[in-house]
Amino acid sequence: MTLKVYCDRMSQPSRAILIFCKMNGIDFEEVHIDILNNQQHTPEYKAINPMSQVPTIVDGDFTLFESHSILIYLSCKYPGVASHWYPSDLIERAKVHSVLDWHHANLRRGSVGVIMNNVLLPLNGLPSNPQAAEEAEKTLVKALTVLETFWLKDGPFLTGRSQPSIADLNLVSEVMELQLLNEKEHDRILSPFKKVLQWVEDTKSATAPYFEEIHGVLYKASKEFRELIAAKSATNE
Amino acid sequence: MALKVYADRMSQPSRAVLIFCKINGIDFEEIRVDVLKNKQYSPEYKAINPMSRVPAIVDGRFKLFESHAILIYICCAFPGVASHWYPADIFKRSKIQSVLDWHHSNLRSGTVGLVFNTILAPRNGLPSNPQAAKEGEKLLVKSLSKLEGFWLKDGRFLVGSSQPSIADISLVCEIMQLELLSEKDHDRILSPYKKVIQWIEDTKRATAPHFDEVHEFLFKAQKRIREQMATESVKHELKSKL
Repeated sequence: MTLKVYCDRMSQPSRAILIFCKMNGIDFEEVHIDILNNQQHTPEYKAINPMSQVPTIVDGDFTLFESHSILIYLSCKYPGVASHWYPSDLIERAKVHSVLDWHHANLRRGSVGVIMNNVLLPLNGLPSNPQAAEEAEKTLVKALTVLETFWLKDGPFLTGRSQPSIADLNLVSEVMELQLLNEKEHDRILSPFKKVLQWVEDTKSATAPYFEEIHGVLYKASKEFRELIAAKSATNE
Repeated sequence: MALKVYADRMSQPSRAVLIFCKINGIDFEEIRVDVLKNKQYSPEYKAINPMSRVPAIVDGRFKLFESHAILIYICCAFPGVASHWYPADIFKRSKIQSVLDWHHSNLRSGTVGLVFNTILAPRNGLPSNPQAAKEGEKLLVKSLSKLEGFWLKDGRFLVGSSQPSIADISLVCEIMQLELLSEKDHDRILSPYKKVIQWIEDTKRATAPHFDEVHEFLFKAQKRIREQMATESVKHELKSKL
């Protein structure tokens, strides 16, 4: 039975797993769970993942969620996955674990908060909380600074590596979500971070052509959201 | 050169690493980094961990932070660590990894939000956010329900295990931080969760006597805080009567 990947290409961790599977020639079935239409809350999906989040994998009898765990599992279970994705050296591996752990409360928290307040709430005609928006941007900018000055200081990829690991896939997918912001905000936030921008490009190149192909849905949504939000604010004025 | 563990026993993940090292007989030196006195921002400590967080370890020339990464590293790098802490079986190991990942944005986020904003910030002259405390409690309760109904549904320990793993130590140390709340709030929040309460006892027993010893510091802080709160409430009552 083929591996099943339950995901939504609008979800950052979902994209990391799809890119990883395609890069490593892993045979899988992509099952779309539409999160903008709340499909993750259906009883059918809750039976697979009671946390109602994407992504989740089902590999035979084995169900697993949390994208970092999924990436580690796939790296270990499937033969032919190149070792740079999840290094076997204890020290290299520990560093990859540490940036994956750091990610949750830093880059992810900041990015999700900024997107929620600057894109998703306005898009749904809901008021955003200025204090929450300010704190989210503060967290995001702090995380980007730490990426720029620490995680990327010794190499093109995270933790000083010369080839990408599962951490690069996961964290770059997170940074890509900021494409949903309007162009001015996106550039204002990201442009000071030259190493981060280069790293995004390096990760794209290392995972071509799949990176761009899987991000197609996000680029399309970004265009649509920008037009919708611009139309809404023109109506308000 | 012995392993160095930079820790503060007021910090949940610090306690997890200390208990783990002690239960596995790992030779280490504990170096206290007093977080309430901002020692994590000193240049000396920033050289060890530029994130200014605890815990961090130094093993020879290798520096590492993030407690889950530390626990996994110690399991693999030090001989004599029993395999149930981080099983070699890929399925069991992945499940343990998944609950460790879930922890960050759920149990930890909820606990920290609540305890920081209701107890630690006000008592240490730091700005607290009542909205964040409310959201913290909501997330904490949601996380406790998930622990009760999902993570502990198949066994005495997390993810259906009959023996504890690094995930049990990490998450139980987090819940212990709720001991800093008033007795009333602590019982109100935790008492509905019978499996969770039993699991805490099972984890304590499995890591005795080190669990209690490492938590003494937290209980001393709890006593101090509750005494202060009792004095304040007496003063408040007197004031309102006058």
